[in-house]
Amino acid sequence: MRTGHFKDSYAALVALSDSRVVWAWTGVLGLALLALPLLVGAYSLTLAITILVAIVGAIGLNLLTGTTGLISLGQSGFLAIGAYTNGILLTDHDWPIWAALPMSGLVAAAISLLVGVPSLRLKGLYLAITTLAFSFIVNYLILFFESVTHGSNGIFLGDVTILGFDLSADRPLYYFVLAVTGLLALGALNLGRTRIGRAWLAIRDHDIAARAMGIDLVRYKLLAFFMSSFFIGIAGALMSLQIRFINIDIFGFLLSIEALAIIILGGLGSVAGAILGAVFLTLLPEAIRILLSLVVDPNASTYSKYIYEIRGITYGVVMVLFLRFKPDGLIGLWRDAKKFFANWPLAY
Amino acid sequence: MEYFALLLGSGLVIGATYGLVGMGFAIIYKATGVVNFAQGELLMLTAYIAFSLTQGLSLSFFPLLLVTLPIAMVLGVLLERIFIRPMLGEPAFSIVMVTVGLSVILRGLTIMIWGPDPHEFPIGLSSAVVHLGPVPFYPVQLYALGSLAVATGGAWAFFRFTRLGIAMRAVAANEAAALLMGIRVDRIHMLAWSFSAAIAALAGVLFAAMFKLGPTIWFEGLRSFPAVILGGLDSVLGAALGGLVVGVVENMAQGYLGQGLREIAGFVVIVLILMVRPYGLFGDRQIERV
Repeated sequence: MRTGHFKDSYAALVALSDSRVVWAWTGVLGLALLALPLLVGAYSLTLAITILVAIVGAIGLNLLTGTTGLISLGQSGFLAIGAYTNGILLTDHDWPIWAALPMSGLVAAAISLLVGVPSLRLKGLYLAITTLAFSFIVNYLILFFESVTHGSNGIFLGDVTILGFDLSADRPLYYFVLAVTGLLALGALNLGRTRIGRAWLAIRDHDIAARAMGIDLVRYKLLAFFMSSFFIGIAGALMSLQIRFINIDIFGFLLSIEALAIIILGGLGSVAGAILGAVFLTLLPEAIRILLSLVVDPNASTYSKYIYEIRGITYGVVMVLFLRFKPDGLIGLWRDAKKFFANWPLAY
Repeated sequence: MEYFALLLGSGLVIGATYGLVGMGFAIIYKATGVVNFAQGELLMLTAYIAFSLTQGLSLSFFPLLLVTLPIAMVLGVLLERIFIRPMLGEPAFSIVMVTVGLSVILRGLTIMIWGPDPHEFPIGLSSAVVHLGPVPFYPVQLYALGSLAVATGGAWAFFRFTRLGIAMRAVAANEAAALLMGIRVDRIHMLAWSFSAAIAALAGVLFAAMFKLGPTIWFEGLRSFPAVILGGLDSVLGAALGGLVVGVVENMAQGYLGQGLREIAGFVVIVLILMVRPYGLFGDRQIERV
């Protein structure tokens, strides 16, 4: 049991962490992430970029669904908006990436207010269905306004450079995405310890009670939509930088489910949970692929034929099992483990 | 005018399948307070099972239903027992997410078992066109309309007159009070899932027979959301009516406004309706207390 554990200022109470050990390990993790491209091959680096992008999207969804308790099945719609904004600004309007990337987030956030306004009257399941409807409407509009979005032709991103580095190469892209992810994760963590973050938690726990305590529901629910979609829009833009060819087929319903599976796996309402969930859920299909190629089929043709189905089943099984047996996710497992060692040899 | 009648006719037919799927949603929601996001996959799985039955036994429409519906009901009971029952007492969010997870599992398994290629689904009905007034129908389309009528009538009579139907309404109204009155709430939940699966199977067979049986048929479930929202999630008959309305609206939007609008007209309708009436047109307004 740690003792002598008290705080004598408000700043210390809301600090991100009061433990030097945590800060030291965070530093080690940062250094390891910086050194990663020097240590691993091209394929692993691609995977690492995918994970980082998934982290940004998961943190965004978590702000809305985990922290504020508003269920969204429209993740793919906001990702599409971010990716297309980024693609259009970069290729058709020759914006530099440092301007196009925040703009993608802002456009997604602005459009989210359109969904946010009906959400003020809707609860739970009705909201989930509205956001789902929204993602289909977005996909349709992208195909429809062909003169702006290139419709079904898709957008091919040409050379994107920042400070002279070419982002089509893996290493510069990795460092760029890592920097953006780090900034956004820090932003989300800090958001959580302000009035805004606490208001969101209050709304999640009971929105009528929260209103009675003086929280402006309209303002904070719209703010939740705005911030969440800003993150997701940026995740979409980063996605477009990685895949380099934007096509509406990428933004299907399965993507929204994947996002939900990530935050359920990681643990709802926690930034660290979103990160853990993104890491594990992105690596899980890889692990399955390797296992399948070892056990069943040496040339892995079953896997490549049914890649979407296997991924889908994986997400589904993860969601069902975690909701059933560990509703607070991997981060809950981590907390349990910490508690176990802190209390050992006593049970509690 | 003829064009209008044509759009109306085909809209009603497609609306009938939406109505059937929507009734499936509404039955489960009414009894258990959960939206079953796997309804479309239930439809898909039962349609594929029916497809295998026609391949093996070459049954025509009614015998096929006689075999398929009981299988679907057993399937519904199994899914409820394995996936939903252990979640009893958890928040609605978790249970709904379980059905979302269940939906991708069922979808993946079905495609892996039956393969990704679409199939023709013959159910032994003639393809001679029947004219009702100015509107031409295929027989299978009339069967779809008839099935919706029978299902609606059956559901109405069931909820109105039978002991079980009244018990189900009691559970929907107040689960704890129903339990105290001696109603086996868990059994009612199971029953709701089996009825819902049976209706999904009916819709699936009809839909596959009208179009094709392909790996994207699950999407029919999501396409039916507008119907059930229009009717209100807890109104079984409202869902049937909502289905017809949405089917017609989609077809009119496609015919008069623009290509591709069929895909999203229903979703635009639900966003608009929910902005005006947050509990759907016929849904019960819930009163919340802190």
